[in-house]
Amino acid sequence: MGEIIKSYYQKVIAEFWDQKTTVILLGILSGLYFGTVGVVWAVTGEFTRWGASFLKWMGVDVSPYTYLKIIKYKGTVLTRIDGVMVLGMFAGALIAALFGQNFKLRIPTAKRVLQALIGGIIAGFGTRLAMGCNLAALFTGIPQFSLHTWFFTLGTIFGTYIGIKITLSPYFRGEPKLVKASEFNAENLKANTQMQPFLGWLGLIVFAGILLSRPEMPNNLKLATVFGFAFGFLIQKGQVCFTSAFRDLWLVGRTTTLKALVWGMAVQMLLTAVFIAKGTPAKVLWAGPNALIGGLLFGIGIVIAGGCETGWMYRAMEGQIHFWFVGLGNVIGATILFLVWDKGVYKYLAEPFPKFSLIEHFGYLPAFILTGLFLLGLYLWADLREASGRSMIKNKTMPVRRV
Amino acid sequence: MEEKRYVLDLRGEPCPYPVVYSLQVLAELESGALLEILADCPQSFKSVPEEVVKAGYEMAEPPQKIGPTLRFLVRKP
Repeated sequence: MGEIIKSYYQKVIAEFWDQKTTVILLGILSGLYFGTVGVVWAVTGEFTRWGASFLKWMGVDVSPYTYLKIIKYKGTVLTRIDGVMVLGMFAGALIAALFGQNFKLRIPTAKRVLQALIGGIIAGFGTRLAMGCNLAALFTGIPQFSLHTWFFTLGTIFGTYIGIKITLSPYFRGEPKLVKASEFNAENLKANTQMQPFLGWLGLIVFAGILLSRPEMPNNLKLATVFGFAFGFLIQKGQVCFTSAFRDLWLVGRTTTLKALVWGMAVQMLLTAVFIAKGTPAKVLWAGPNALIGGLLFGIGIVIAGGCETGWMYRAMEGQIHFWFVGLGNVIGATILFLVWDKGVYKYLAEPFPKFSLIEHFGYLPAFILTGLFLLGLYLWADLREASGRSMIKNKTMPVRRV
Repeated sequence: MEEKRYVLDLRGEPCPYPVVYSLQVLAELESGALLEILADCPQSFKSVPEEVVKAGYEMAEPPQKIGPTLRFLVRKP
């Protein structure tokens, strides 16, 4: 009995989780989040509001920017559903990282910091141009039956390819340093991380305590915080990296993550349809060039940065300093977008185009079938790419520095 | 045999570099060499072993996790 409990504890608390299972869980939770809190699981709208708050704090009058009205900019992190949900995600990811003894401050090189910032800015700008990121315009967006998410996804697929080309360019790639084992200073690999799980449990108690000790906090905010916690916990445990879904498929024909995402979206689609039918308004946005261009920029940016808008969140909580800069870049990019939105971006790239809902145009069953076919297409593309045996690094000689 | 064992220390490198560098270095090594890869990007724990095996190399030992540090021992056939 004790042995069994110990092995469960090890599997659930200490180890990484199976990715497909985790992503299906995320799909179910994200559908329930939409049904109970009434908004889709998304993060970059909140990053944009952070940028707006910063400018406001600097003394800039942000009231004329219509983009901020679209994303309902008001209140503070603590009074917004997205705000507390994002805080919950940070808490969940941090505690998951501590449980698995994965926390370690990792200091990046100056070159990688630059890369993180540049990639983060491009991705942040693109994602807000398209009105959503790997969540609202892809993972949680496709199950909303809005056509713009298809454009975004296609843009992302091509963008990631371009991003890899940049990432593998000699400047960014650099040279791996190969050391003879006899020369290698095998300094102590033993990490002092035994305390981390205890800190994780302590953190969990503190988190629960904060929620329980605030009777004045509205219920929907509490719910959003708990959902956020679960989202953050799951993406860390399953190492759910949306960037790798497309990047690694191009790079070496790795299908694991993309297939997991397809499963997660399929399950979610059924759930969101029930809630949409019951009256929760779906998130449907302009199916215009903004979504395609936004997806393209997003794809380029996330590969250069090494992580997307949720990827940097859990990695930042693992102590990867590199990803703090990706997050900063995201906020900067999103801010630039809302500043230029009224300068022709909206007028030419979004406004003339319809907010196209598959459900409203075709009805439920055809919308299911079409979305199902789109997901099947992604799945097939993954299999075909893997079967072709193509890889962007095979048979390419790259320099190695031998020490 | 000692001279045929190498270490590739990728601690601090974010994705996708651990996979890219591992495959890049393995391609350069002589047949029969052992490569010890150290990384600390958690995603590498699954991606590095799976990708080196897919590329035709052998895992000489199962992947090891020492706290946040990941260790892989790969043999080039």
